[in-house]
Amino acid sequence: MGEKEDEMSIGFIGAGKMAQAMTRGFLASGIVAKERITASAPTSQSIEPIKTFGINVTTNNRTTVQKSKVVVVAVKPNVVPTILKEVSSCVTRDHLVVSIAAGVKLESIEQDLPPETRVVRVMPNTPCLVQNAASVLSTGRWVKNGDGELVKKLMKSVGSCQESSEPILDAVTALSGCGPGYMFMAIDALADGGVKCGLPREMAIQLAAQTMMGAAKMVLETGRHPGQLKDDVCSPGGATIEAMRSEER
Amino acid sequence: SICFLFSPISPPPQSRLIVNFLQTFGINVTTNNRTTVQKSKVVVVAVKPNVVPTILKEVSSCVTRDHLVVSIAAGVKLESIEQDLPPETRVVRVMPNTPCLVQNAASVLSTGRWVKNGDGELVKKLMKSVGSCQESSEPILDAVTALSGCGPGYMFMAIDALADGGVKCGLPREMAIQLAAQTMMGAAKMVLETGRHPGQLKDDVCSPGGATIEAMRSEER
Repeated sequence: MGEKEDEMSIGFIGAGKMAQAMTRGFLASGIVAKERITASAPTSQSIEPIKTFGINVTTNNRTTVQKSKVVVVAVKPNVVPTILKEVSSCVTRDHLVVSIAAGVKLESIEQDLPPETRVVRVMPNTPCLVQNAASVLSTGRWVKNGDGELVKKLMKSVGSCQESSEPILDAVTALSGCGPGYMFMAIDALADGGVKCGLPREMAIQLAAQTMMGAAKMVLETGRHPGQLKDDVCSPGGATIEAMRSEER
Repeated sequence: SICFLFSPISPPPQSRLIVNFLQTFGINVTTNNRTTVQKSKVVVVAVKPNVVPTILKEVSSCVTRDHLVVSIAAGVKLESIEQDLPPETRVVRVMPNTPCLVQNAASVLSTGRWVKNGDGELVKKLMKSVGSCQESSEPILDAVTALSGCGPGYMFMAIDALADGGVKCGLPREMAIQLAAQTMMGAAKMVLETGRHPGQLKDDVCSPGGATIEAMRSEER
């Protein structure tokens, strides 16, 4: 049985950009009230940004765990083992531990926590920062019924979320994790093309980004195959199919 | 009040289908283009470019200085539209793009010689209801066509290619397409909403010695 929403309490270990973005998403979706969110970070300086959301803050990670049913591990991957060892003695079967650390396997997290701890691993991506993440989750060995669904619901407040088996998460990292980097390069290149054709730089960047967003939205909302959509926009002998030819080389 | 002009060249059964579809929006519908001009202050010419001259000649005698004619026909110049209508007709030309279909167009407009104060702003406001809209001089519209007009085609190809990569690495096809499209949408949104330079955003996601910068290297080849 999953957590009842009125009993929901969420804690973030780590208060960086991802934790802030997720806090924003959770609050906006109404899944949890700010009084029931806690975040911890090493210094009072590092806790400042997330404090602006009006949530509880502390520099003590164990406090975060003690106050929360769902604990999000939002620190850099290399720091995860240290963090887990630090809080392990506070973790019980009542907790659901959610890790967003790229590349840190479920087994490794479970090993650093008490036996039979409920763990879910999520691979989100940077556009979480604008509430448009592409996330995939995998559940650990000892989750309860409903744990996966709960995390999916939380992650849907900051974008899309699907569930899969853990081995797939490396491929997900390559695609949606690294993907934004390719996209930024593409926008830059398209904008260069626009400037070459006489557009002011700012306009070229805006058009490139807006066009990219619109095309992606068409794939997501029409459900048509990308190849089919491409065919649809290439009228016979037109400008688009000519451009395709150049691009295919 | 706004009206949309039909091409009279569609065979009657297809016109009827279109009329039926439009009626589901609850708007006024007719197969008579002159009627729609007479009933409207803003007239959107939404037919294929090659049909525009025919349409304009058909309705020209109904068009007055009270009308604002908005053309979305790619490649049809303001001068050509103005020539097919009465002298001093107010015309605005907009280049939208296909994602208009999901309310996410990237549009640019240019105003004709005889527009009144506020005509450009009005059209911009209308187009913003289906995406973004900026104003520019007319010569720029060809470059806009290349970028935002043809752009979606490149993007669909990119999504397809990325999805192929995902499938190669073991993802189910549907998931790969969804992740590729969602990732593309998220990245674009970051450029639009953070106002940071795309190059800077790219730097931000490439941690030293990490997976992303390695992939960059492959892609640059």
